[in-house]
Amino acid sequence: MKLAFVVQRYGARIAGGSEGHCRELAERLSSGHDITVLTTCASDYVTWENAYPAGTSVEAGVRVVRFPVTRPRRIKIFADLSDEVFEGAAPRDRQEEWFRENGPDTPALLDHLRAHGRDFDLVLFWTYRYFQSYFGLPLVADRAVLVPTAEEDAAVDLEVLHEFFDKPAGYLFLTPEERELVSSRALHPLPPSVVAGIGLEPAPIGRTPRTPIDRLDIPSRYLLYLGRVDRNKGCDALLENFQEYAATRKDVTLVLAGPAKMQVPDHAHIRALGYVSDEVRSALLAHASALVVPSWYESLSIVLLQAWNYAVPALVNGRCKVLAGQVTRANGGLYYMFPAEFDEAADYLLMRTAERDALGRQGLAYVEREYRWPTVLERVETLLQEVHLRVQRADLTVRRYAPIQRPSVVEADL
Amino acid sequence: MTLDGDPRVPVDAVMTELHARVRERLRAQIVASGGSRAFDDPALFADVEALLHAAASASDTTKLILPELLGDPDTWRLTTSMRYQSHRTKGPAALLMFLKRRVLMPVFRWLYEYSRDNFERQRRTNQVLFACVQELALEAAQLRREVRRLSPSAPGAASSVPHAEFRDRR
Repeated sequence: MKLAFVVQRYGARIAGGSEGHCRELAERLSSGHDITVLTTCASDYVTWENAYPAGTSVEAGVRVVRFPVTRPRRIKIFADLSDEVFEGAAPRDRQEEWFRENGPDTPALLDHLRAHGRDFDLVLFWTYRYFQSYFGLPLVADRAVLVPTAEEDAAVDLEVLHEFFDKPAGYLFLTPEERELVSSRALHPLPPSVVAGIGLEPAPIGRTPRTPIDRLDIPSRYLLYLGRVDRNKGCDALLENFQEYAATRKDVTLVLAGPAKMQVPDHAHIRALGYVSDEVRSALLAHASALVVPSWYESLSIVLLQAWNYAVPALVNGRCKVLAGQVTRANGGLYYMFPAEFDEAADYLLMRTAERDALGRQGLAYVEREYRWPTVLERVETLLQEVHLRVQRADLTVRRYAPIQRPSVVEADL
Repeated sequence: MTLDGDPRVPVDAVMTELHARVRERLRAQIVASGGSRAFDDPALFADVEALLHAAASASDTTKLILPELLGDPDTWRLTTSMRYQSHRTKGPAALLMFLKRRVLMPVFRWLYEYSRDNFERQRRTNQVLFACVQELALEAAQLRREVRRLSPSAPGAASSVPHAEFRDRR
């Protein structure tokens, strides 16, 4: 098949989850399909400043066409507009303006879709919330497959999305919770869809040395948080919960590995490492007592899968349906909703080592079952074939009836 | 456990155990700090906690009745966004808006964001309270119906006045 992948940013150095998902699929499907990635010149997801040259290149065997962003994101205007539309009852034009301000504003990409979108058998769009998906998908809706990466945040409640979620010809979801969420916002039953997730390569369990974290003086028993240390990721609540917890238990440490976007308290049992190398990251994952994921909003927690890949159990925020669902399906950890539950669950994972190890192994078994690349790619291929077949049938129907309709139009004109 | 065998540690069972422990801890704290003596009964406390827990977990306002009954949201809903408006004519209005947006707002943004965050918390609390009231109203309505059904004078004694059955008996 001839496929177009439309995504807000693309490249090996781009760290975002949906961008990584798009790149992994593009590279792995390119041996069987003719794939073109249509993206922007941006590399920063906050400002959308142009960083890559516009035009065509080939990256890891995939053809990539980049279009310039016409203006960087106007952060304050966007923040005020977000407040306005998320409050509810904002008129349609203001809601659409939100997608424009969210960016990356790339009219040339839309022009390209208008002119060449139908040259592709299918056009896949990543992340519903950005300009290229919201305004680009309707241009090729009959052959569009949306990978929404939807979370249960305020944006998904925008009223204009009811119609938008009705437009794609197919859906590729990351979790069953995401499918349920999008389905609840669409006006009609969803078209063909699949919960595909993302694939992982097996981790070197038992063969990852502790040396890199010994050098950092990381104790043997620790809870690990991996990722941006940010209020938006629930880290403020995590830090409060943990400080209360550690006040009565002296032999536990919380290790934060990721850039800090908020103040981390100076505490004897909290270690904020900032950016860490891949080697340190792997060692931290491999030797953690448990991974903590305090986020309220997730469409799929990749870091959770990575922890299970090392047979490490997780402690997650139960208010996030996706996280609680992942943990329950995998039998790979525990969840909490308020501080007292955090204390009990953390105690369970830290004190009961046999049960903790069993939860970790169960998580690994879940990854083996659901998230190895051959399984994920098979699901994606099956969906693409099904949607393509429908598109072909629809094209045939149009062609079959077109000659009959045309004379009647001509007669009417006469 | 083997990779394809049944889980040795089922998360649901562990979570039930943890919830029970947390609930008991909470009940003991409330009773110790002089809370209602009715909470001496752990089963009653569990019922109350389950009802409030369900209400507090409701995230979808479209499933709530009270917001509809309150009428036009502009008359009761907390407005947390900043809207730049002016009643003046076009020229002065544009100047005023420019000053508000580009001069005053950057100076006061920290205060605005502080207030907005607090209003957001209040909005969430309101939503939880709406959900709690709805759960309680539902329970009360179901209980009233059940009492009517069990009452010897039913169905003729049925009244639209709340608790009329009890007053009649007195």
